[in-house]
Amino acid sequence: MGESFMYQYNEVDQKLVDERVEQYRDQTRRFLAGELPEDEFLALRLMNGLYIQRQAPMLRVAIPYGLMSSLQLRKLAHIARTYDRGYGHITTRTNIQYNWPKLEEVPDILAELAEVQMHAIQTSGNCIRNTTTDPYSGVSANELEDPRPYCEIIRQWSTMHPEFAYLPRKFKIAVTGGPEDRAASQVHDIGLHLVKNEAGEIGFEVLVGGGLGRTPVVGKVVKSFLPKQHLLSYLDAILRVYNMNGRRDNKYKARIKILVNALGVEEFSRLVEEEWAFSRDGELTLTEAEIERSKSFFKPFDYDADAANDTTLDEKLAADKSFAAWYERNTVEHKQAGYRIVVLSLKPYLKAPGDITDAQMDLVADLADRYSFGEIRSTHDQNLVLADVKKSDLYALWQVADSADLARANVGTLTDMICCPGFDFCALANAKTLNIADQINEKFDDLDYLYDLGKINLNMSGCINACGHHHVGDIGILGVDKKGEDWYQITLGGSSKEDARLGKILGKAVAADQVADTLEKILAVYLEQRQEEESFADAYQRLGIEPFKERVYAAAH
Amino acid sequence: MPLLINQTVVTDEWVRLDADQLEANPELPEGKVIVPFTYFLANQDALAAREALGVCVNGDDDIVALREQQQRFAVIAIDFPVLRDGRGFSIARYLARDGFKGQIRAVGDVSRDRLGYMDSCGFTAYELPEDRFTPEDVAAFTEMSVNYQGSVADPRPIFRR
Ligand code: HEM
Ligand code: SF4
Repeated sequence: MGESFMYQYNEVDQKLVDERVEQYRDQTRRFLAGELPEDEFLALRLMNGLYIQRQAPMLRVAIPYGLMSSLQLRKLAHIARTYDRGYGHITTRTNIQYNWPKLEEVPDILAELAEVQMHAIQTSGNCIRNTTTDPYSGVSANELEDPRPYCEIIRQWSTMHPEFAYLPRKFKIAVTGGPEDRAASQVHDIGLHLVKNEAGEIGFEVLVGGGLGRTPVVGKVVKSFLPKQHLLSYLDAILRVYNMNGRRDNKYKARIKILVNALGVEEFSRLVEEEWAFSRDGELTLTEAEIERSKSFFKPFDYDADAANDTTLDEKLAADKSFAAWYERNTVEHKQAGYRIVVLSLKPYLKAPGDITDAQMDLVADLADRYSFGEIRSTHDQNLVLADVKKSDLYALWQVADSADLARANVGTLTDMICCPGFDFCALANAKTLNIADQINEKFDDLDYLYDLGKINLNMSGCINACGHHHVGDIGILGVDKKGEDWYQITLGGSSKEDARLGKILGKAVAADQVADTLEKILAVYLEQRQEEESFADAYQRLGIEPFKERVYAAAH
Repeated sequence: MPLLINQTVVTDEWVRLDADQLEANPELPEGKVIVPFTYFLANQDALAAREALGVCVNGDDDIVALREQQQRFAVIAIDFPVLRDGRGFSIARYLARDGFKGQIRAVGDVSRDRLGYMDSCGFTAYELPEDRFTPEDVAAFTEMSVNYQGSVADPRPIFRR
């Protein structure tokens, strides 16, 4: 439907991905022929998104800033069907992972992806990763500016950057366009926030040194206002300071957050300013033409002015309770009257959070074509978004999505959890996560109870690498290994939003069969003590951890 | 050890000595030598008369001091002690940006799959381990024809070209 308003790859972009496929094909060939040492191929394949995991290799395909066309999603479905076991997994950094590709077939997969300008470039390895952003970019009412044009500018600059491909550690950038943070930007190596200064100009607030993993840190402001034309030269300066000074003797201390903490943010920003003096106003300075060109790819769609006059939605909402529940939870206000943002839940009952089958991908692509200008977005909390749906189309869309198990009305609730694959798939895991996700789903399946709890983020990781962002959930669950058994440590009070903060550990870990029961106790304290409309997060901030601790550990005797 | 310059294997006119060699045999040979930068710093007076001098640095060296003295050298060899250590890429960029006119040579863990990136960062010569080099490897310089960022040869990022 209609023309696409996504970034359109030109010949240069296409040539780059094509050449990259051939380059990687040759690297794989030389590795299999024994010409390329294991450790060297490891670095090369990681820079192309290929991990070797418990079961098989794992391939992570980039979805730049979480935006894709229906054509691209159909290709992802085709790859799941042809080269994998019929599904993929959406990650917290809005990429997609395949768990069962064959090493020898990866070059063919990449060649297929390149046909739709997709790739796996820099989805892992110690390089600049896929830049992420707000899944409601361009359609949320209170954004200052659409962040995607800047994400695209960063994508180009960071793709195959010759100087920053062997950084001390991986490097993640997230960009937000308004006061709300749906991209967890403060737990990224660099968080960029579009802001307005006193003169009314738009630029970036720049945060550095956020990150999770074994040393979770919230990012710190290194520059409160960076005029936007300096975006790349300033990033370049930060990366060079990091590349030269980040620790290389210990990979657990190699992220930029450790450097920023060691130097202090003042000294770190002094080094950046000193470095920036060389490149500021140089070739990397963005031209007005380049910013405009990038913006031209993300213009608002041709919205139907008539859409605002719809009356059918109210009728359907009144007539169908299930639809109304879904509308309430899984759709979001759109800046254009008569439209809604739709979140397709990838958290169905008793299935791995974030997983999506090939048939579901095809179906979402069809829905996008029919109802949302052919465009799909992936979110930090592992769901998909159709960003531009007419209110009058919602009912029809919901019926189709519901039939494909994509409309569980749980977005923002306890069962809309962020969850890493854990021990079932990941070689680094200490504990399983998917069985715990099931346990929680079984216990808290009652929608009225879930709705009564309101908005709550439950995040779960299978080890301290924190891929499931447990530190920044209202409730976090971390799998730990105690003498060969899976135990789970619980944290409370984290947030990855505007008020980003790290959760506090509740107490000693609980046994695998106790996780859901423990959550129930925590939630009971909230339900008993909340004031009026108070959310779990606000109640926790008021009450502190003690009442929760008392309930959980007192009852254990 | 093959030395690549302009994508061709050339004869190396330089003798590169490491700290161990210099300790075992403190007498510097005549002619073109490359010594560790730390050795240079410790022996500046003795080396003052030498016309053709090269130094070898790695990321642990005092790069500020190197940049201050770079015009003194005909060759600056940048060592990649291990594959993971990417500081050498930035060191080359500094030198190129500061206007260094001599040879910037990559040594240590240098291999085919990084030649393209090294070239973009301003390296002009590459010492490759014998067993890791075949003449076909020069294809690495041209297998990626596109870059977005610009390079030392053409610093304009794609949007200024
Ligand atoms: C199954 C294979 C996976 C492996 C081997 C793996 C490995 C790792 C490791 C080692 C880290 C810590 C890095 C550090 O602190 O420096 C990490 C962090 C992270 N992973 Fe994964 N991961 C995997 C899957 C996933 C999945 C499925 C997701 C998304 C759901 C994910 C999202 C993340 C994120 C967002 C971080 C960043 C945390 C931070 O900022 O420190 N990973 N991963
Ligand atoms: S948190 Fe640990 S278990 Fe989970 S995916 Fe990351 S590395 Fe694997």
